[in-house]
Amino acid sequence: MIETHHLSKVYSRGLYALRDLTLTIEKAEFVFLTGPSGAGKSTLLRMLLLQERPSEGEVFVNGQNLATLNRREIQEYRRGIGFIFQDFKLIPSRTVLENISFVPEVLGVPAAQQRRRAFQVLKWVGLQHRMNAYPHDLSGGEQQRIAIARALVNDPVLVIADEPTGNLDPDLSLEIMNLLREINAGGTTVLVATHDRELIRLVGRRTITLDQGKIVEVA
Amino acid sequence: MRSIEYAFRQGGASLWRSRGSSAFAVLAIALALIVLGALLIVSWNAEQLLARWSSAAEFSVYLRDEATSDQRAAIETAIDQSQLADGREYVSKAEALTRFRREFAELSELTSGFDENPFPASIEVRVRPGAEHDIAEALVKRLVAMPGVADARYDRDWLTRVASVLGTIRAAGLALALLMAIAAAVTVATVVRLGLRTRRDELEIMELVGAPLAFIRGPFVAEGFLQGGIGALLATAALWVGFLTAMAWWGSDLNSLLDGGSVQFLPIRLCFYLILGGMLVGSVGGLVAAREAA
Repeated sequence: MIETHHLSKVYSRGLYALRDLTLTIEKAEFVFLTGPSGAGKSTLLRMLLLQERPSEGEVFVNGQNLATLNRREIQEYRRGIGFIFQDFKLIPSRTVLENISFVPEVLGVPAAQQRRRAFQVLKWVGLQHRMNAYPHDLSGGEQQRIAIARALVNDPVLVIADEPTGNLDPDLSLEIMNLLREINAGGTTVLVATHDRELIRLVGRRTITLDQGKIVEVA
Repeated sequence: MRSIEYAFRQGGASLWRSRGSSAFAVLAIALALIVLGALLIVSWNAEQLLARWSSAAEFSVYLRDEATSDQRAAIETAIDQSQLADGREYVSKAEALTRFRREFAELSELTSGFDENPFPASIEVRVRPGAEHDIAEALVKRLVAMPGVADARYDRDWLTRVASVLGTIRAAGLALALLMAIAAAVTVATVVRLGLRTRRDELEIMELVGAPLAFIRGPFVAEGFLQGGIGALLATAALWVGFLTAMAWWGSDLNSLLDGGSVQFLPIRLCFYLILGGMLVGSVGGLVAAREAA
């Protein structure tokens, strides 16, 4: 599903965010990416989302070399990916249902279909009763569940989560992880960046540890 | 189609949200178009007047006192055969004197001391509307060379000069309107960009889910388009109110300036172009800002 070959990212003044990174993540696998702050976790995720380009090396997703994609192909590629951020990135002026249906809306899906699909995923994360609420009316855990619903609304083949539990207490964090496990059980590849070692231990999946841009452990 | 509908829905909502700052952009476009529109009203009416003067053009062929009737007949034949004349009238020496006394009554006493009538007989020719200026001039030159002709006058130079001055005024006005339109587009771009910055997260999500460019940039272009459209409609309304007010106060003076014609507002076609122009200026401003979105 995901392969990187000798991937490096160098910022100005010769600072390496990633250094000669080679890894493989299989289809339908659930993988944790961990390491201290500045280890390169977010940089790798940003490269997978094509928000950044490698300085050296290559990234393949589903056999596609991401460096060769043109603008239209990048759009097409991104439609197959769901993303979850630590700060949820919900739109404050939209209701819960609108935040989710926003994704199919901007992809040109007909209105009735947008709402139907948004309601399905909202029900799946158990927040259908909050569909008309606004993000500021929700708790952190609820907001992250909405963000997960939004990531799923487009039936992605890959879900990327960057510190999805960073703003949540341990109970809510486990709840979010359980949702991600359920997504993975449906055959979706899930890649989660987190520095929460306890959570990784509880979930118990393959873990790639980065430090100073290099893989230091695969467990 | 869906992207257009989305763009206008979102653009309209954004316009409403930022209605305070959008008012500046709308005002800038309206002012630019008021300048342009006022200029168009003046030049449109001046052009109508010029066209009327041009179509009413005539020339006079002055005959020598000793011109024979055969010579006069030959001159008239040359005029008729040119097919430039819409009509002609022979004015005898006596008629010319009578006209002078009638039209310049205060000078008529001067003529009583003349031993003989100094006014020449002439043939006045009305030039057919739409006749080419060069061809008419060539005919006049030919007539001057004919026996029995003392002189011929076809003074179109002043019309050309008026048209040239009008053209210069129009060009200067257009340059001013263009500058104001650019300023208006910059204002629109700035206002739209302000709104864009408050929607950074939304735009990032759109990019990350692979939304087409039309969905990402479209709302900003639509917002500029709407600002331009509203500005243009306001400008047209202001011009109309200004026109009616000016006509109520100085209508008869303005009409007399037009040599018997009546001052007209812009034709519907030009109003339509003015509104379209406003929309275009707004859209350009919106597009400039939208390029920052993705």
